[in-house]
Amino acid sequence: MKKLTSIFILALAVALVATACSSGDESLDGRTVSVGVENLYPPFNYIDEDTGEGAGFDYDIWREICSRLDCTAEFAEAGWPAVIEETGQGAYDTAADGISITDERKEVVAFSDPYMTTIQKIMVRVDETRYADSDAFFASGDRLGTQVGTTNYELAASLTDEGNIEAYESFPIAVLALLSGDVDGVIIDDVAGQGYLGEGSEGVAILDGDLQSDPLGFIYAQDSDLIEPVNKVIADMKSDGTLDDLITKWFVEFDA
Amino acid sequence: MTTIEPVKSTDPTPPGAKLTFDWSDFPWWFIGIVLTVAFPIYKVLTDENWNEGFLFIKDGITLTFSVTIGGFAIAMIVGLGLSLARMSPRLIPRNLAIYYIELIRGIPVLVTIIMFGLVIVPWFFNLVGISLQSTIGSKAIRASVAIGLIYAAFIAEVLRAGIESVGVGQREAGKAVGLNGRQVFRFIVWPQAIKNIMPALGNDLIALLKDSSLVSILAVRELTQMSRLWTGRSFQFFAGFMILAAMYLTLTVSLSMLLQWYERRIATP
Repeated sequence: MKKLTSIFILALAVALVATACSSGDESLDGRTVSVGVENLYPPFNYIDEDTGEGAGFDYDIWREICSRLDCTAEFAEAGWPAVIEETGQGAYDTAADGISITDERKEVVAFSDPYMTTIQKIMVRVDETRYADSDAFFASGDRLGTQVGTTNYELAASLTDEGNIEAYESFPIAVLALLSGDVDGVIIDDVAGQGYLGEGSEGVAILDGDLQSDPLGFIYAQDSDLIEPVNKVIADMKSDGTLDDLITKWFVEFDA
Repeated sequence: MTTIEPVKSTDPTPPGAKLTFDWSDFPWWFIGIVLTVAFPIYKVLTDENWNEGFLFIKDGITLTFSVTIGGFAIAMIVGLGLSLARMSPRLIPRNLAIYYIELIRGIPVLVTIIMFGLVIVPWFFNLVGISLQSTIGSKAIRASVAIGLIYAAFIAEVLRAGIESVGVGQREAGKAVGLNGRQVFRFIVWPQAIKNIMPALGNDLIALLKDSSLVSILAVRELTQMSRLWTGRSFQFFAGFMILAAMYLTLTVSLSMLLQWYERRIATP
């Protein structure tokens, strides 16, 4: 009897989803949407050790978006920060990499509505005792690592002397430099930092003190026809709780 | 009946020869290089964005030069030691030298730089308790040493070829006039060897200058890293990398011409 009930509920759910889909006036008619990802920015996007496949928040959210819009998400590996320029030129239909929405970038690409907000923080070695919070870190004038071409770099440059900042190729290298002592802190988005806490890097901790909060968006070429339909899906996902579930899955519970 | 004056066809320099110019000898390629560099220079002089980019990127030249010069000096010293060990009749030095040369030549330059600069040296310095943020541990030094140790393997083989190119008769003559082994090497073999391998050494110097761009992976602020920093905030990728390429091209072509001039100067008449 219990089994029958669950089958009934399942059937109902399927019917509901089906109506939800058909009621939406936006459909991309099964076309392929190429999504640029870096695969070096866990938990947004990275290569899963077990499967060898790309995984992360960006993969899940774009598969979900495409399932609602009738499209196929095809992920392509792209370099940061060149992916912004490339997407502006149409090399990818969109790109997802925890990209902060800024006015400078808006001159190159169009942004989606923000799907989440991150807070920039300072990551330090776990045995660090010199800094009470991020203000104390900047007061010390110690060396700070980050990734080239990020809002983290721009923020760091506004808070400390640029000579104190080391701009690495990717975030994993910046964290490596932190662990080995090349730098004493890494300025990082809290959600990405959370990824490193769970990623088996027991060696890092995050200092108290929020620096700046950034809304994140997907990027497109300026004239893209994806902007409106995807914004609508983002709004739907916010209201039906799907987005919160994905954020919880990747940025709260994540432990690769 | 031979009233016609014989033509002096055998005269190697007929009158007026110096006035004719053989256009097929003209260095057209050089005009091409100049024009290629002229475009970014023109843009830098006239376009505000390009100008800003150049002013930002040019500061990287100090580190590009120091990595190149420091790296080449290390490569020459270590390379000389390696080449001598490589030619040693003794088993252990010879095999150690061959091991090192094959090891370096078998690993891509970029991989060696990452290994050395981001993994091995940090591990070792932490082990012996030297701060990576001290002068000796600085990444500029790590970058120069990494490049130097890599090119030492290449230069060792060039030096060996040079030293072996000096005939055994030269050494015997040196010994005959009473020089010891060290003096024979210093005054007889070395000057001739260097002269023979100048073109090959020059090639390695230019290749080293170009490979210095790879140390940008260590976040060392040489030219390439500076252009990445600038394009990362301005998104002027076209301008940034055109300026960068033009700067490298100017450096390498000038260096190549300087080396050719020097080769002619020291050439045996």
